[in-house]
Amino acid sequence: MKLSTNKRNTIEHQGICHRDTGFKPVHRCTGALVFLFFLSFLLGASFKPASKVSVKKLKNGHFRLLVDRKPYIVKGVCYNPIPIGKNHESDWWSDPNKPWIVDGKLMKEMGVNTIRIYQPGDNPEEVKKVIRDLYELYGIRTILGNWLGFWEYPCPFYGDKDFQERVKNEVIRMVELYKDEPGVLLWILGNENNYSCLGRVNPWSNDEIDKEPDPQKKNAIRARIYYSFVNDIAGKIHEIDPNHPVALGNGELLGLESANQYCPDIDLVACIIYRGRTFGNLFNSLKATFDRPVVIAEFGADVYDAYLKKEDQNMQAFFLESQWRQIYSNIANAPQGAGNCLGGTIFEWSDEWWKHDENNPDSWKVHDTESNWSNGSYYFDIKAEGNKNMNEEWFGIVALSEELEDGLNKRIPRKAYYVIREFWKNPTIKKPKVKGKK
Amino acid sequence: MKIQKKFCILICCCALCVMRYVVPCFAQGNDKLVLLSKQIIEAKTDDELYGYFEELSNIYFEGNKYTEFIDFLKSLAEKKKKIEPFINYYVGLTRYRQLKYLEEKQIWDEYFSQGNTYRDEITAAMQKVVDTAQVSEPLRLYARLILWQFHKDQQDVFVDQALTDLMDSAFEYAKTAHDTKPIKIVADKLSSYGEKGKSKELYRIYADKTISSEIKDDELKEIAFGFYKEGNLDLAETFYDVYIGRLIKNLNPQKTVPLLIDIARQFSYKDRQPNDPLYAEKIFEKIEGLAGEKGFDQDLIYLRALNLEKAKEYVKAKDLYLKLIDSKAPYLDKITYKIGIIYTYILGDIKQGKDYFGKLAQKQSPIGRASLYQLGLLAQWQNDPDKAKECYNKLTENTGELAASPETISLANERLREIEDGEPLEYSLRTFLDAALKERNLSLQEKGISLNCHPYEAKKNEEVNIASTSYTSSSGCLQVEIQYLWSGQLGKTKPSADTPSFSTSYSEAGTKEINLVVVSPSGITGANFDLLDID
Repeated sequence: MKLSTNKRNTIEHQGICHRDTGFKPVHRCTGALVFLFFLSFLLGASFKPASKVSVKKLKNGHFRLLVDRKPYIVKGVCYNPIPIGKNHESDWWSDPNKPWIVDGKLMKEMGVNTIRIYQPGDNPEEVKKVIRDLYELYGIRTILGNWLGFWEYPCPFYGDKDFQERVKNEVIRMVELYKDEPGVLLWILGNENNYSCLGRVNPWSNDEIDKEPDPQKKNAIRARIYYSFVNDIAGKIHEIDPNHPVALGNGELLGLESANQYCPDIDLVACIIYRGRTFGNLFNSLKATFDRPVVIAEFGADVYDAYLKKEDQNMQAFFLESQWRQIYSNIANAPQGAGNCLGGTIFEWSDEWWKHDENNPDSWKVHDTESNWSNGSYYFDIKAEGNKNMNEEWFGIVALSEELEDGLNKRIPRKAYYVIREFWKNPTIKKPKVKGKK
Repeated sequence: MKIQKKFCILICCCALCVMRYVVPCFAQGNDKLVLLSKQIIEAKTDDELYGYFEELSNIYFEGNKYTEFIDFLKSLAEKKKKIEPFINYYVGLTRYRQLKYLEEKQIWDEYFSQGNTYRDEITAAMQKVVDTAQVSEPLRLYARLILWQFHKDQQDVFVDQALTDLMDSAFEYAKTAHDTKPIKIVADKLSSYGEKGKSKELYRIYADKTISSEIKDDELKEIAFGFYKEGNLDLAETFYDVYIGRLIKNLNPQKTVPLLIDIARQFSYKDRQPNDPLYAEKIFEKIEGLAGEKGFDQDLIYLRALNLEKAKEYVKAKDLYLKLIDSKAPYLDKITYKIGIIYTYILGDIKQGKDYFGKLAQKQSPIGRASLYQLGLLAQWQNDPDKAKECYNKLTENTGELAASPETISLANERLREIEDGEPLEYSLRTFLDAALKERNLSLQEKGISLNCHPYEAKKNEEVNIASTSYTSSSGCLQVEIQYLWSGQLGKTKPSADTPSFSTSYSEAGTKEINLVVVSPSGITGANFDLLDID
């Protein structure tokens, strides 16, 4: 299944500048592959070759994601089905009750075509099983990511070569393990790691940074080191996997002027954005700073009104519907939009009850209503005490019940699930005329 | 059965009583609608239609009867084809109002099921108006305005283009139309949405078109003052600029200057009236240009200095205060203290600052004691505990003064305790002093932090609100712990380090300085300070 080790390039294809990985599609492949296909067919295995996923730049400068040459809009959810009473260390991949089967069915009914996994589990066979089940049963593709050591204690030492090497090897191992899975859509490197370059979140340093007295220059050095490191990994991935684009996970657009300088091998940006009902000028700003397409890899709204102290499903649905309208206004060939959006993955599929007080196992069984961060763009409940209105445990578009059904917490879709389902059925954005008759 | 029968009769009676009042009201509304419909059908000019449609829409909008209004408009359209642009405009406007209403009242079922249809209706209907109405018709301009407001409210990608189209339409309209009111309406709306630059452009056009050569200077001044009273300072300033231009052109300086002084006073900082200190300073500069320093008496210099102080132009304010230092003005002590404060904390010139505090230190007054405290504090920060103790002791030795300066004496006692216990200066205060006096690369007027008090001139025990805003870069859902290190003379409240704003009050008179340093995990992100006066 390994096709080539050529570096990715940009090719001219039928007059269209084609940002592509530059390799032959799998279905044009050798007789050996055909033989393998029939062999597996004969053996009864439902074998499918890995899809060819690429990013295409259109004549008008817009971007489109292609899967096996067909346009693909990412209609996704971030997926981390932690059961009530467990925390993030819970190995749901090995759950004999297979939560992804139940979730996949609901997702398919909603219209979800993609899930985003922040980092795969430890057992490759279990991970493959999940990816295959979702793809083969429901046609749902998987975005696989890696934290790039962001949460390592005491901090991610991006300025340290040994640390870089270790993280890079971990990512390469992930790619080698899953690149031939037909359900894999693309890779995301990091999440909001760029905030650490400003020294405010998970701050890190090295001798070069320590010697620099100017705080602005310190940040610039961190950005150079971090984005060069990510680009190095992206280049390596392209060498071993020509079939899947590589995304840079990035909080907001911070640091992307550095990415523009140091990340030529990045195919797209996976942005994490919490700006309320809108993404503002994000799409045009991205075009100006780092002209790559974007998947909004984390966005959404919590469902708990911290001011009125009650669940408000309409509030969540309101924000999500508005956000999806923005996404569709900016996909390729949408009238007047930036045309650089490839879709999005909602944060998140189901609630995670462990998040508020993550070191206290007793609280994992409790759906905490205490907020620990504030965001004025989510204005309905911003008058909550201390303006803390964002409830980490309540971001799911599917609620979890303590009641068990086939060994799993019962799934209860929220209003946003239905509202987005309806939106996806008819997401047309009509073109307003720019100029009228004089 | 009998009871049931009686109950039914009672209900019927009640219903009849209610109907007696409701039916005439409904009929009255109906009569009005019939009349307005008739007037619209019979109207001979478009000018008449604006008023009728306005009245009509008010009736429906007051009752939030949006869909009913659209049905009514459609029935009206069938009766008179010529009013189609009005029908389209009001269909779009109605859907726009309806969407806002649904969101505000959280009527979500209709919002989710009909929202996209209404949005399409807004853009389609307004576009029809743009396509069919003449450039000189206000309706076309209003349609552009609603389209821009709609996209602005939606915060979508079309908003920039919609604003460009709106401004283009306004310029085109201004070239051909005589009625200037629509330009003001658009400018007012732009201003209320925070588009100050664009609104000023249109106010200028409005003023140019409104002010004919026949209009007298006094009338012009009255119009400007009228806008000032309304709180529309942008428009008032636009008219005053024209008025001032005429004064300078037509009158001699002796006559012009007093009139300019009135305007400068009007716009100078005041706690409870509309003000624009920067505009006031612009007028003061004109006065200076016309009359030089002679144009300013002591009170006017003080007013200008105070105005600059509130505009955070501390150095310029200090230069003006210095002009009053040899006067016998009643506020001499206050300005001497402020000069000391500005030299010390803004310019980092401790020696000069001490000189000015020293001038006041012997005075048996709240400001004298505050100056002693400043001298003690600076000595303590400069590792001269003996000198610091001397100042604090002098300040606290007369316990009879406790009633006059309880807050300053309390601060001095805290500092004395620190010295006696061998402790460093309180952390927030020391961090501020280091930022202001040692790390001079960190400007106190750091752009990253704004700090404001309200009111700036308060009475004893009156509530004062102190608020800061720090502009920190985004960190997504990874919350950065920001600490607000408050120090200085904070009155009865001791704000905690996690609060960006607080309310307080003071029980002693004098000038109070509020110090703030904002700290994030990467270190100090900024510092600022503010001055307020307690009467």
